[in-house]
Amino acid sequence: MKPWLLALGMTATIAPPLSSQDSDEYRDARLEMVREQIASQLGGRNPVGDPAVLQAMETVPRHRFVRPNDVRAAYGDHPLAIGYGQTISQPYIVAAMTALLSIQPGDVVLEIGTGSGYQAAVLAEITDSVYTIEIVEPLGEQARERLNELGYANVRSMLGDGYFGWPDHPGFDGIVVTAAASHIPPPLLEQLKPGARMVIPVGAPFQVQSLMLVEKQADGSIVQWNTGAVRFVPLTRRE
Amino acid sequence: MASAPVRRLEPAILLIGATGIAFEIVLVRVFSIAQWHHFAYMIISMALLGFAVSGTVLGLLGRWAREREGTLLRVGALLLPASLVACYEVSQALPFETLQLTTRPGQWALLLLLYLNLSLPFFLVSWCIAAALLLRPGRVGRVYFANMFGSGLGALAAVGCLFILPADAVPYALGFVALGAFLLLAGRDRRWLAGSLVLGTALCGVLAVRGPVPIRVSEYKGLSYAMQFPDARVVARRESPLSRLTATRSSLIRETPGQVSGYPMGDLGPFPEQIGLFFDGGGVSPIHRFDGSLEPFAYLDYVTSALPYHLVRRPAVLVIGAGGGTEVLSALSHGASRVTAAELDPGVADIVAELSDFSGDPYGRPDVDLVIAEGRGFLESHPEVRFDVIQIALLDAFNASAAGVHALSESYLYTVEALTLYLDRLSEDGVLSITRWLKTPPRDAIKLFATSVEAARVAGIEEPARHLAFVRSWNVATVLVSRLPLDEEQIRAIRGFAESRGFDVSWLPGLHADEVNRFTVLDEPVYFRSAGAILSPEAEDFFRRYPFHVRPATDDRPHFFRFFRWRSLPALVSSAGRDWVNYVEWGYLVLAATVLQAVAAAGLLVLLPLGLLGRRGVSDRGGARGSLVACFAGLGVAFMFLEIAFIQKLMLFLHHPVYAVSVVLSTFLLFAGLGSLYADRRRGPPVRRVAIAVALLAVLAAVYLAALPALFRAWSGWPAPGRIAVSVAILAPLSFLMGIPFPTCLQAVSDRIRGLVPWAWGVNGAASVVGATVATLVAVHAGFVAVVLLALVFYATVPVALRGLIVSADAEAGSG
Repeated sequence: MKPWLLALGMTATIAPPLSSQDSDEYRDARLEMVREQIASQLGGRNPVGDPAVLQAMETVPRHRFVRPNDVRAAYGDHPLAIGYGQTISQPYIVAAMTALLSIQPGDVVLEIGTGSGYQAAVLAEITDSVYTIEIVEPLGEQARERLNELGYANVRSMLGDGYFGWPDHPGFDGIVVTAAASHIPPPLLEQLKPGARMVIPVGAPFQVQSLMLVEKQADGSIVQWNTGAVRFVPLTRRE
Repeated sequence: MASAPVRRLEPAILLIGATGIAFEIVLVRVFSIAQWHHFAYMIISMALLGFAVSGTVLGLLGRWAREREGTLLRVGALLLPASLVACYEVSQALPFETLQLTTRPGQWALLLLLYLNLSLPFFLVSWCIAAALLLRPGRVGRVYFANMFGSGLGALAAVGCLFILPADAVPYALGFVALGAFLLLAGRDRRWLAGSLVLGTALCGVLAVRGPVPIRVSEYKGLSYAMQFPDARVVARRESPLSRLTATRSSLIRETPGQVSGYPMGDLGPFPEQIGLFFDGGGVSPIHRFDGSLEPFAYLDYVTSALPYHLVRRPAVLVIGAGGGTEVLSALSHGASRVTAAELDPGVADIVAELSDFSGDPYGRPDVDLVIAEGRGFLESHPEVRFDVIQIALLDAFNASAAGVHALSESYLYTVEALTLYLDRLSEDGVLSITRWLKTPPRDAIKLFATSVEAARVAGIEEPARHLAFVRSWNVATVLVSRLPLDEEQIRAIRGFAESRGFDVSWLPGLHADEVNRFTVLDEPVYFRSAGAILSPEAEDFFRRYPFHVRPATDDRPHFFRFFRWRSLPALVSSAGRDWVNYVEWGYLVLAATVLQAVAAAGLLVLLPLGLLGRRGVSDRGGARGSLVACFAGLGVAFMFLEIAFIQKLMLFLHHPVYAVSVVLSTFLLFAGLGSLYADRRRGPPVRRVAIAVALLAVLAAVYLAALPALFRAWSGWPAPGRIAVSVAILAPLSFLMGIPFPTCLQAVSDRIRGLVPWAWGVNGAASVVGATVATLVAVHAGFVAVVLLALVFYATVPVALRGLIVSADAEAGSG
């Protein structure tokens, strides 16, 4: 079975415990978001079954990462604009990308393109150490403040150029690139530990079409999978 | 109340007609820069319905309007300059974002506001012309001539103006032109002159104090994003009717087309610094720092488009779409003996030369020949030249490709005929290399492969399978066609090239299934299987069953970027659920949406009020209104069908979109205007005159359809002035004949039921807008020949409808 299907295909059988942050008024919306959009086979999606990812998605208050006018739409099944030409990804895409990374508690993860900070917060629910880099200063500052307010002390953020990765870091167990890239930056591949994974969404703004999963093999070679955010079995089978 | 006499009517209408079409052309540029050109098309098509609504309003005002035509004309002409400026400024103030239409319902309200706002100037232009038609009931053809002739001049002037002025300044210039038209109408009347003085002063004041309002570029376009980088600064600008070019320098601009993960950066060093050259704020072509040393460009050997250089040593290379020079530098760094760089936009070469301290001006090198030309046109006009490598690399941005914004664009670079020409211009052992972005689900590269196979067959290659290679990375694919069958050494070289760089080979002579889909793994080896199917006898079955439209593009259906098939929609929706819209070409959806909106709006704003008109004094005992709709809708649709089809035909012959639009459009309008003038001076049974014109049109169009392809092939090597002269000579008789039916029909209406003149005008305007959008849809699905044939069918209905109209009107007059 293909590795991303392993990551995505596990079915959650036990409802994960909810953290204290779920006492907010959007808890139900969040649970519904996970149930309807992420863990289900809505449309042709590969349901995300990783319990840790589902729990993270149920925990992080997404409405705190969107612009005030969009709070009501925060848990909808779509991306939202966050200003500066950037978006907060559709909940399903965030969950699928996180699941594809296959991270474990204790892993060290790098995110290129902090944006709203939502993806970093989801990662920080699963692992102890998240690094995130943003080039657009106002976005980076807002995200840093937001993550601090929400108590994500395990997220280290930096303003700057993510192309060369985190300066002087020995290596990461997972990298997620949410910033636009015409190519996979070679320095990021160097910061990926053997056996580790990188995930890159592919598509125009508001239009993620597939997720590129990059895996560094033990011998340092690279294998990539175009996982597709959606299964096109009925489309490709007929050829 | 009688209106004051209006003098200098025709010159004023000429200026107003010119202003209207110039505003339309400028808006296309404005919205192509602000958003994306397919949305520009939709917004402007809908705004043009303002043209039709003026007929409805004048028709509803009835006798009251007919007694005040002069005043209404002057009021319209006075409001026009203000509306051109105000509506442009409002359009740039509205926070409309195309990409948010699917996530923010409020954007639909903004889109509607945009339609309404931009329709006002077109409403006023049309209002003035319709009022003028009422003012000169006996000289309808003369007024129509002024409008058409003015529109022809306006089209020419607008394109010329865009060479001199930035697009954001042109609406203000048009404001002054419209003011000139009003002054002609105002005569010596002090009140009107005072009005124009106030308006002129206000316009000058706005420009002096604040200057033109700049175009608000979407924050989701590449330039907007790049300008947020801390060290980003604009270092050069150029603007022309082709594009707005912005060169932006930042250490964070690293535009490498395709995967370079195999590049050993630790050993060979970082990529050279780049300046981003943005086209209309969207697509970017990098300009590299180049000091004469080609060593830093070793990284360009780690992209798929480097493949041909591993097969041919020291080649003479033609780069089509040279842009900022990446492929030129790649060819040089791979040891090309000579590089010919074809670039359509002279501004690109200007900027590269202007930034020579940084760029090293690769186009100025003695081993590089820069030609400012469309690539295919260059080859057509230089039949003697041969190249060892013809390289067509990525000409558009990834995001634009992913979103399918080019789905409506005719691209004559990627048709079977074009690829056949490229193969013909290769040296004996030369290779053609074309690189495109990949899409999910796969379609773009499959269509490119299919087009290459068909072109190889047309070029006389008996076994295309032995001449083709297909290599892909994670987001681009290169298809290579060799004149000679690939030999063992070349096949080994291709395998080695791909293996060492982590590229997947999807077609190669002798390729086995276990060799494919190894580095960028797909669920199924779709590309390999598709390539095999296309090369097999079952290709037709494959094209029929593949969920996307991947048949080879041809000159008659040059929409290479259209992949959507309606019959695949249910499967797509069941696969992707509500995300299905992410996987189809937006350009196509926008066209379909435009057709629907235009038909609905035309029905609501023109046909419905006309249907209710009987209650307001115009009876319909003889069915005059039905015949009127059939007659003038047929004329509108037929005219636009022919105009659009022949613009496309000549675009290929003229080798240049700006020449094509300016020459073809203005010739059409000028000669149609002369046809109207001719019609105005002829008397006789209108049905007969229209029938003769339509019959001649049919003969001429049939001759053109049969003869033009061969004539264009024979003459395409002529220099540009010769081709322009031929184009004008071809179009002149056609458009002259096309100018005759409308004023003849309108005069027949004016002579019998004057109250129906505004309605006829409105119906024709609405049908023109609908016709233009439907023509594109027909062309996408059935080709331009079908568009021409349908136009003739519509024209054939006109004399019949006119006869019905006259009989009804005469019967009504007799009974009245």
